[in-house]
Amino acid sequence: MNTQTGAVERDVGTDGNGNDEELSKLVEMGQLVMAAQDALADPIVSRLAGTLNEGMALVDRITRNKALMGLLQELERPESQALLKGLSAALRETGRALSASEKAKGGLGALVRVAREPGAEEGLRILALVGEHLSANVRGDRRQGK
Amino acid sequence: MKILIVGGGTGGSIVGNNVARRLADELAEGKVEITILSASDRHMYQPGLLYVAFGQMTPDQLYRDQRSLLEPGIYFEVDPVEEFRLDENKVKTRSGATHDYDILVIATGSRIVPEQVPGLKEGAELFYTEESAVKMFKRLSEFQGGKVGVVVGVPHKCPIAPVEVVFSLHDYFKSRGIRDKVDIKYHYPVGRVHTIENVAKWAKPEFDRMGVEYETLFNVKEVDAEKRVVRSEEGTEFEYDLLIAIPPHKGMEVIERQGLGEGGWIPTDRYKLTMEGYENVYVLGDTTNLPVSKTGSAAHFEAEVIAENIASVAKIGTPVRDYDGKVYCFIEAGHDRATYAMFNYQNPPNLKPASKSMHWFKMAYNQMYWSSVRGLL
Amino acid sequence: MAQEDFNMSEVKIVDARDTFCPGPLMELIAKVKQAEVGDVLEVLSTDDGSAADVPEWVNKVGHELLSNEKVDGVWRIKMRKAR
Repeated sequence: MNTQTGAVERDVGTDGNGNDEELSKLVEMGQLVMAAQDALADPIVSRLAGTLNEGMALVDRITRNKALMGLLQELERPESQALLKGLSAALRETGRALSASEKAKGGLGALVRVAREPGAEEGLRILALVGEHLSANVRGDRRQGK
Repeated sequence: MKILIVGGGTGGSIVGNNVARRLADELAEGKVEITILSASDRHMYQPGLLYVAFGQMTPDQLYRDQRSLLEPGIYFEVDPVEEFRLDENKVKTRSGATHDYDILVIATGSRIVPEQVPGLKEGAELFYTEESAVKMFKRLSEFQGGKVGVVVGVPHKCPIAPVEVVFSLHDYFKSRGIRDKVDIKYHYPVGRVHTIENVAKWAKPEFDRMGVEYETLFNVKEVDAEKRVVRSEEGTEFEYDLLIAIPPHKGMEVIERQGLGEGGWIPTDRYKLTMEGYENVYVLGDTTNLPVSKTGSAAHFEAEVIAENIASVAKIGTPVRDYDGKVYCFIEAGHDRATYAMFNYQNPPNLKPASKSMHWFKMAYNQMYWSSVRGLL
Repeated sequence: MAQEDFNMSEVKIVDARDTFCPGPLMELIAKVKQAEVGDVLEVLSTDDGSAADVPEWVNKVGHELLSNEKVDGVWRIKMRKAR
């Protein structure tokens, strides 16, 4: 402290002109504000604010929708993510296989042949399991603490 | 618990949405019901009318669908109340239905009554409705020069509007390059250019700078639309080529008709915001008799208090907060500058110099208003 | 009971204490409009400016100023609607 004037001197750096570093930072900020003022115009501000306004309303609705937030939580599990990835890959490969194969001609014989394929059995098993668990969840027979 | 809100404007919507958020669980469980009855399926952003009058906004931008602004749990109906039976905790609507309530919120707003001043409707541009605002813009755009007079009726909503109109007129004619062909004369009912002292202190030198004439202590008595002359109660008169008037206001007809308040202004406790004589009836916005500015801002802050109190009554049986008189109003000072006035029962407004940044804050708020109505902001 | 006596005994109070907008005088003007000729109104104000503003308006418009005093920091100005 300067005992003569009582002023507190702070240890700030100086730029090449010998001015306070702080002062030049303030000037820079002021210039930035002025630049923004020069760049912006009424319609720009209105559009920005409008988007922000709608964005806020949307986020507000999403975050207060218990079902959506619950779904998000479910989807964050590693198993769910693996399953979704698997589903996506399976669909892709199915698409490829379908386009490479002949269109079905119909008839009971062909149907019996397909039923015999291991893929059909796996598929039915998956569907049965999904049905069982979906029903349990919808009816509220969920087990506690997954 | 049944909560009934009469009026779907700024005050009514914010109370409804705010209470719905605070009592979300109770609402979902059916322990609380919230109903809003309105006269319209649309919600109007009233400050936009000034922009419409000067061609800065189109009328469609003033409105949003009312239902879309309300929380899903709120029961909303376009069926205005025609009869209040406060001693029976009931109201009756236009369709003939009755709604009973545990808590009533009256937020019916106010209406213009230009007919109180003979000749005003015929002679003046009023801009306080969509139709008149559009008509005013058309007249302004056709105006080539002459005397423009601004007069103010009492009481009126949005106390700052007269000053804003003057700034807008000046900038509008300047931008058309005919400001030197136009004489703008401003007339105000009290002994200074605005009722708020600090606003008058700021506006007077601005009026001088803009070359705007003013006459204070001018209370409009009548308008001769043919001769284009306005006469005051004080015995003075002036001629005009274009007359812009902020008309006098009253509360809604049903309030007056039922004797709930003289002039349609309901006697309200200035802190508790309850109707005099009824602990379970809250009143907010324009329709109170409070000496508080009739503005959306006052309605908003009142709504916050009322919503908090309704929620606490629902949860713990008593209200928790008082209204402190807070009002926050933007003041547009022309096309690209603005300032603001903030005050409450204890503190007067202290105006900062007008700036471009504040103008953009106002521009942004024109959009963000809808978030306020939703109870978000 | 004479009509004048009834009006005299019913003073319409305009409580504009601690308010800045629209302020005591504007509140009074609005209430005077609603009142009948002969009614007595009393405005309460914590704004020192009212002591001059209100009487100025009362006189200019042609009403009757009945009293103007400060009681416990509150200005109480009574007037009668004359026209």
